Amino acid sequence: MSERTYSVSEITRMLKRSIEGNPEYTGVWVKGELSNVTYHSSGHIYFTLKDEQAVLSSAFFKYANKNLSFRLEEGMSVLALGSLTVYEKRGSYQFIVSQMRLEGIGELLKRIEQLKKRLIAEGAFDPSRKKVKPFLPRRIGVVTSPTGAAIRDIIKVAMRRFPNIEIVLAPAKVQGADAAASIVRALAELNRPAHGIDLIICGRGGGSFEDLMPFNEEPVVRAVLSSRVPVISAVGHQIDHPLTDDAADYAAPTPSAAAEIAVPVKSELIEEIDYLSIRAANALVSRLTGLGERLDSIAALRCFRNPREIVAMRELSLVDLEQRMTMALKEGISAGRERLLSLPDLYRLWKTETRSRRSRLELAWGAVDKLSPKGVLRRGYSLVTDARGRVIKTVKTIKPGESIGVMVADGSMGCTVNTVQREVRGGKEIIGKG
Amino acid sequence: MEKKSSAKAKPSFEKALEELEKIAERLEDGSLGLEESIAEFERGTRLARYCREKLDEAERRIEILQKGENGSVEKRAVRVKQDTGEIDDDEDMQGSLL
Repeated sequence: MSERTYSVSEITRMLKRSIEGNPEYTGVWVKGELSNVTYHSSGHIYFTLKDEQAVLSSAFFKYANKNLSFRLEEGMSVLALGSLTVYEKRGSYQFIVSQMRLEGIGELLKRIEQLKKRLIAEGAFDPSRKKVKPFLPRRIGVVTSPTGAAIRDIIKVAMRRFPNIEIVLAPAKVQGADAAASIVRALAELNRPAHGIDLIICGRGGGSFEDLMPFNEEPVVRAVLSSRVPVISAVGHQIDHPLTDDAADYAAPTPSAAAEIAVPVKSELIEEIDYLSIRAANALVSRLTGLGERLDSIAALRCFRNPREIVAMRELSLVDLEQRMTMALKEGISAGRERLLSLPDLYRLWKTETRSRRSRLELAWGAVDKLSPKGVLRRGYSLVTDARGRVIKTVKTIKPGESIGVMVADGSMGCTVNTVQREVRGGKEIIGKG
Repeated sequence: MEKKSSAKAKPSFEKALEELEKIAERLEDGSLGLEESIAEFERGTRLARYCREKLDEAERRIEILQKGENGSVEKRAVRVKQDTGEIDDDEDMQGSLL
C-alpha cells in the first residue's frame, strides 16, 4: 500500500489531466439521443446524450452553438463532435460539444435526394406529363386528415368561392410511419371513376421536417404521379418543398392556396357571362338600328321622290303602313338603345348591388327580345334570302327565275322571282322579266 | 355520323364561355350578315344559358369516405360550419381513416 495521500483536488486534477490529455477523448464524434435539453439564458445549451445503457452530460457553449441551424429537442437523434473534460468543482465529467448534426435527418435528406434524382432521370417530373385541371371542377376529392386544419381551410375557401361546391374527403393519416400507405389508399380510392371526381387536393398543414416526410416517400410520390385525376399538392411548407410538389400537376404552398387554385369564383364567372351577353345584345341592337335607318330611307324615297311608285304599288295605305312600321321600329330601337347604352353603367352597379341584378338583366333582355329580328318580323316585315340563305340586300345579284326564301314571323316560304326592278334616279329600270 | 355526334357533345364550361366571347366579338366587329348576326346572337343566348346552368349544376355537399362493414368504401354526407369550414360531425373520424 502506498503511503502517499492525495487531496481531493489533487486526485481530481490527476484524473482531469489523464482524461483531457488523452487524444482518444478529444475531438470525437458521439452518437446519441438528446434529453434534458436546457437553453440557458447565457446562451449555453446543456443536455445529456444517451443511449440504452448510458448517459453523458454535455454542454454546448454559446460560442460553439451560434451557428446551429436547428433547435435542440428532446429525443432527437444526433451526432455530436466534442471532447471530454472533467469539472473539478462537481467531480463530474462532461462532454463539451463543438459541432452537432442531426443524425436521422441527414440520412433522410440523402434518401430524398437520391429518390429525386432517380425520378428526374425517369422523366417523372417532366412538364409534358402534367395533366390539365378542369376550369370548373365538378367534384373535388381531398386527401388529408379529417381532423387537421387543412380540411377546414380547404372547405372554407372553396365554399366562399363557389357556394355549391361538392367535396369528397378521403380521410388519411398524414404523419407517422403508416401515413404513406394511408395516403396511397386514399388517392387510389378517389381515382375510382364511380366517385365522379375530376380534381384532387392532396396534403396537410405545415409541420416539422419529419411530419412532412410521408410526402417525400416513394409510394406516395408514385401514387400522385400515376393518378388518373389531376392532383394539386398542398403541403404547408416554408423552405423545402416535398417531392409530391414535383410529382403533382399543380403545387400550392398551403391547403388554402390549393383551394384557390382548384375553385374559380362563381360570382365572377356569372359577371363574365352577363357582361358577354350584354355585349352581344348591344352589338345586335346597333346592327338593327342600321337596318331601321335603311328602311327609313327607302320609305322616304318612295313617298316623296317618286309619287308614281305609289300608284304603281296601287295601295297607298301600304305606304302608310310601312311608314308607321318604320316609325315604330325606330322608336322601339331608340328606346332600347338608350337602355342598352347605359348598360356598362348598370353592369358596374350590378357588381355592388347583386340583389336586383338578375331582374335588371331580365329587363334588358326583354328589350333586346322586342328588338330582335323575330320581333321585327312579328310587326309585318319579312326577311328575303337567296338560294344559299344569305339576306338579299340588292337586286343586282338576283335574276328572274331564281329561287328565294322569304321569312316571316311564323315561318318561311320558298318563292321564285318573276321580275326584277332596280330603283334608279327618276324611275326604275327593268332588269329582266321571267 | 360520327362527326355529327361529337359536334353535339356538350362543350366544357370553359369552351362555352370562350365561344360566347368570340360571338360577342364577331357581332361587335359588324362583319356578319344580318341573318348570320341573328343566328350568332341566338347561339350566344343559348351558350350563356348553358354556362349559367353549368354553374348551378353542382349541389353543395361535403362527403367523407369511410370503410364499410365488409371492406367496402362508403360515402357519408357531413355538415360543415360555413364560417370556419369545420366538419360538424359526431362520428369518430380518426377511426374512419382509409
